[in-house]
Amino acid sequence: MSNQFDVTHPPFDLLTKDEQDQLLTRLDIGYFSNDELIIEAGQSSNHVFVVMKGAVAEIDPRLEDNSDGGVIREYAQEDLFGAISIINGTSRYTFRTLEETIAWLIPKAVFEVLMESNPAFAAYFQNSLSEKARIIESRRSQQQGGSDMSAFMLAKVGKSVLREPVVLESGTSILEATRTMREQLSDCLLVRKGSQYGMVTRTDLLEGVVLNDHELNTDIAELASYNLLTVQKEDFLFNALVLMTRHKIQRVVVFDGVELAGLVELTDVLSFFSSQSHVIGLQIERAANIEELARAAKGTTALVSGLVSQGVKIRFAMDLLAALNSRIIAKAFEYIVPAEYHDKVCLLVMGSEGRGEQVLKTDQDNALILADDLDWPDCQKVMDKFTLTLLDFGYPLCKGNIMVSNPEWVKTETGWKEQLGKWSRKVDGTGLMNLAIYVDGAPVAGNQALFQRVRDNLYTQLGSDKVFYSYFAMPIRNFSTPLNFFGGLKRSNAIDIKKGGIFPIVHGVRTMALQNKIIETNTYKRLEKLAELKIIKNDFADNLAEALSVMSNLRLNQQLNAAEGQADDEDANLISAVDLNKLDRDLLREALHLVKEFKAVMTHRYHLER
Amino acid sequence: MVLKTIRTATDRWSQKDSEFSSMFEPYTGDEVIALDCEMTSLDTQKAELVSIAAVKIKGNQVLTSDKLDIKLQKPENLTGESIKVHRIRGVDLLGGEVLGDALQQLLEFIDNRPIMGYNIAYDITVLNRFIRPRFGFSLPNKTIELSQCYMAQLQRATPDIEPDLKFETIAKKLDVPMVGQRHTALGDAITTALMYVRLLKDAVPT
Repeated sequence: MSNQFDVTHPPFDLLTKDEQDQLLTRLDIGYFSNDELIIEAGQSSNHVFVVMKGAVAEIDPRLEDNSDGGVIREYAQEDLFGAISIINGTSRYTFRTLEETIAWLIPKAVFEVLMESNPAFAAYFQNSLSEKARIIESRRSQQQGGSDMSAFMLAKVGKSVLREPVVLESGTSILEATRTMREQLSDCLLVRKGSQYGMVTRTDLLEGVVLNDHELNTDIAELASYNLLTVQKEDFLFNALVLMTRHKIQRVVVFDGVELAGLVELTDVLSFFSSQSHVIGLQIERAANIEELARAAKGTTALVSGLVSQGVKIRFAMDLLAALNSRIIAKAFEYIVPAEYHDKVCLLVMGSEGRGEQVLKTDQDNALILADDLDWPDCQKVMDKFTLTLLDFGYPLCKGNIMVSNPEWVKTETGWKEQLGKWSRKVDGTGLMNLAIYVDGAPVAGNQALFQRVRDNLYTQLGSDKVFYSYFAMPIRNFSTPLNFFGGLKRSNAIDIKKGGIFPIVHGVRTMALQNKIIETNTYKRLEKLAELKIIKNDFADNLAEALSVMSNLRLNQQLNAAEGQADDEDANLISAVDLNKLDRDLLREALHLVKEFKAVMTHRYHLER
Repeated sequence: MVLKTIRTATDRWSQKDSEFSSMFEPYTGDEVIALDCEMTSLDTQKAELVSIAAVKIKGNQVLTSDKLDIKLQKPENLTGESIKVHRIRGVDLLGGEVLGDALQQLLEFIDNRPIMGYNIAYDITVLNRFIRPRFGFSLPNKTIELSQCYMAQLQRATPDIEPDLKFETIAKKLDVPMVGQRHTALGDAITTALMYVRLLKDAVPT
């Protein structure tokens, strides 16, 4: 039936079947005109409202003169309001329609009986965002249970865990073969004997020498087994697993047509099954040249989208991606920069990369610190090559040209100390922005001591200059945080989640972290430290972290759509209420509400009202 | 109209001591009954009742918690088992036939409130065909025709207009969601009620 009251949504799914039935028989329907007052601030409410159609704004009457009209939250189809007014006895805010609205009415008495009889239902209305998100997440993953299998089932051999085989010619000695395997970090190798391939494992070598008395110069072709099990590159990985399980073997050989393509190992298949991350990690460590590293780098997008769709918390996905990315960048750096300079330079990744908060590959934001006594004429040329290499790996160029290919971002230790001092004294827009990017910097390659000395010097220079922090915090107020787009039914009523939601939290936390000399760059870790130092309350820090996760998650989904061509790149930060389901809308509403509260706290603390 | 007045006057006299006498009192409250029946035929002389639904309207609220939803079957199909399904309580069936009990419930529910519906005259005519032989009177209630309210609203703004009065068209024009399934008595009654509430409060968008 259409337009039935839906008891399958939170919080009504927390009710028992009897309670749901009881609720359904007691519902009325109310019609409200455009701009009609539904609950007045200070008054009590006779109903809990669930919007069937239309839009309602929750307004703080004291702020009604503000540019946003004091709107605190908005409610659209399937959203619930008025519960808190009933719990508290009176309503703190005014509820007014934004358009003609039809709403289900749950009588106060019925609601109170349900609150009384069902503790989980009652708790839903009293929980903070982080608790609410937890309830919803756990319900969601229950509902989705088992969906992670499909990605695995559909993976092709050639696109997942294919290993480069180590191929030796027949005639190679056991000694040499053992040495090669050690060098290549390989457990097994293929022997070419004419047009035929044979396989030799470490066990074969060991048994050949120890049990079968072969000399170390024996031809490995004598030890190899030739009845190999093979799959085609286009086969499903699942088939390879079945084959290995059936024949109790650890490896199958993969062919592309008649050409040898590689090997698939059981351990790789199993770890692909448990988590693709392990494989990428291995690929990175095993990469013997830039090309292999590039292949690993390109796998990270699929990894993140896979993890998140499997229900991995975005914060952990971010951590993992940050770890993989910094390994990739560090490894690329080590290949490109000659070894004799490694100890004389320090590569920083900055911005979201430095904070470890990028969910997909973001623009390259990096800088280089050179030792004061370094003489390296080719520096510029090498850095240009480094930037192009990362581009090739899939890290887009920084539009603001904040990259090591720009000499502005390559300086000696002394040069950086002076530059940071200059930026912090001048307090102009660009300087402060650069400073903000820099203080998120994390060293990923080279000599970390260089970075630490520059950072400590900055802390000393800034001291407790209140005026500086006030200027530094200012951009928090640059973008408005609209709470009034939920009623919008058009895609054009979208919010820029990055500017309106994520940035204010990240920058506010960054400001407080800088002032308190917190060396962490990750926003979640900064929040934990700030709470530890009692600079902000524990609960508030938790809720801000959750708000950031909620918004990052929405942004990631949007970015993944963009990556798959379902949305414009330009729109990757635009979230519109139309595309969100009820759960996401509830969470986003709460998250934006917290952002607004946080902005108010920061405005007060850093005297931004001017 | 005149006929109804005379008939009602006679009925009032004959019912003055019956349990239904209050139905003939003038109504002073602020409630309206939205009514819809599903029937087997469009011919008022042949139509059999399949289901009857009524829901109270009070101010801007449709009181879906205070409703009547009766499903009837042809008498020959009626068994003790199916009675349970029809939400007609056992006590109502004591000493009576099913349709009679259903109509008794309906009369008690409506009392002297105005009755509103889409094409309401048709429903009333059929209902009266079953009410009069059993209770000795016809519905005396004031009736409100939804499509007339709608047309009057439109013509207030544009006198010459000849609006499309189809149920779906009106619902769409008023931007009222269909609640429940179309062509179930209860669904139509609730949707009609919403349209009525909507018409009373706000102008029809042009």
